[in-house]
Amino acid sequence: MSRIVVVTSGKGGVGKTTTSAAFATGLAMRGYKTAVIDFDVGLRNLDLIMGCERRVVYDFVNVINNEASLSQALIRDKHVENLHVLPASQTRDKDALTPEGVGRVMDELHELGFDFVVCDSPAGIERGAHMAMYYADDAIVVTNPEVSSVRDSDRILGLLQSKTYRAKQGESVREHLLITRYSPARVAAGEMLGMEDILEILAVPLIGVIPESQSVLQASNSGAPVILDKVSDAGQAYDDFVRRFLGETVPHRFLEVEKKGFFKKLFG
Amino acid sequence: MSGELIEIKGEMTLLSVLRLASADMEVIREGVQHKRDSMPQLFANSPLVVDCSQLGDTCAALDMTVLREVILALGFIPIGIRNITDTCVEQAIQAGWAVLRAGRATGAPTRIIEPLVEGESKQAEPLLNSVKVVDRPLRSGQQVYFPEGSLVILQHTSAGSEILAGGSVHVYGSLRGRVLAGIGGDTSARIFCQKLEAELVAIAGHYRLLDDIDTDLKGSPAMVWLEGEKLRIAPMF
Repeated sequence: MSRIVVVTSGKGGVGKTTTSAAFATGLAMRGYKTAVIDFDVGLRNLDLIMGCERRVVYDFVNVINNEASLSQALIRDKHVENLHVLPASQTRDKDALTPEGVGRVMDELHELGFDFVVCDSPAGIERGAHMAMYYADDAIVVTNPEVSSVRDSDRILGLLQSKTYRAKQGESVREHLLITRYSPARVAAGEMLGMEDILEILAVPLIGVIPESQSVLQASNSGAPVILDKVSDAGQAYDDFVRRFLGETVPHRFLEVEKKGFFKKLFG
Repeated sequence: MSGELIEIKGEMTLLSVLRLASADMEVIREGVQHKRDSMPQLFANSPLVVDCSQLGDTCAALDMTVLREVILALGFIPIGIRNITDTCVEQAIQAGWAVLRAGRATGAPTRIIEPLVEGESKQAEPLLNSVKVVDRPLRSGQQVYFPEGSLVILQHTSAGSEILAGGSVHVYGSLRGRVLAGIGGDTSARIFCQKLEAELVAIAGHYRLLDDIDTDLKGSPAMVWLEGEKLRIAPMF
């Protein structure tokens, strides 16, 4: 079976779509045939981050409604081979998503030989988020170092344990915590929750910490996932995260305040 | 605002009941003293009702005045006596006792004090004796409801979670959500946790918000129980 990974958080604006784009790109760069699906029907964003917004003809809802075939709707990524984007519909709402329809698309992706399916969840805990996590084998829970984001992630972890297909079969979804927009300087100043505090509250294995970085915004605006920016700290942190997801042991970086010194050592 | 300066209402109040199995004053004194010494804080100045249902006719041998003095001397406040034979009623009233109507034989949530020497120790029948164990963290928005007995949570509970148990609740991690023990009215239910950070604790409908609670208890292992009408919270170690 294709391995289905949901990128979720509960709260909006924490970096789910940025993470989905970087993660899917990172998997494809390592040779895995990967599809990334935008579940945010009505608020389509992933196509912008992936830089394929001008090539959307058919979308996810068209496929669910049998108005187009899956291969018609999948957009081949222009940066990386093996990567395909399934955009959301901008003119519909999340009621268009049904467990049967989503399940059929997952089965077809498997038949097409995809190794990974990355599901970019919308914010919230309603239908869109529910459908995005429903068939997941793994969940990347994206959290910012602040209390409301941590609480929302906690809520999502509860839903992963009760509302997914795996949970209903008495199995469990593998959970991974990804902390994004982490600023060691602000943690040191007491303005942000520290990594240890987040781990203490959520008690989920940490798979990566992405530092707060200008390069993320630049990458979004230019439509190239930040993981392609090999110079930026965020790009490198996303690359580490993908390697950890694939089973490598990679030490965590960018957790200390003197990250500038680290760059000077590398590139200075 | 009501214009009444005082009000007399019939209300149920939880009281300690001393059940006598012997009319021997020395046996009573020793038994009560032993109980008191085992939990001095719990029983200091606590009101006490004496129940004589097991004495039968030997009730007549009981000196009501001496009994009152013995109980007072041990730090309890004797407030009433019940289930005495009709012949003793006059003497009891003379000695300053309030003679109470016979209560139900074994109401569930009464703390029972029995003389140690005579009669085998009788335990109140536990109403709720099954236990449910939860081995995953309780996440925000999740609820565990177990009216049949006690709940044991092996991991932490998150802010925004809810635990409801008919009996006691044990949390072997941080307790951050709401926890309600004794939801069926069992006032003997207790809450135990490794790290008290709860939003709300409640036993048999008596609740407290953690905001109200002494801050130095936050984050430490603690026990919550009901003492009369008052919810008590104390560190465990």
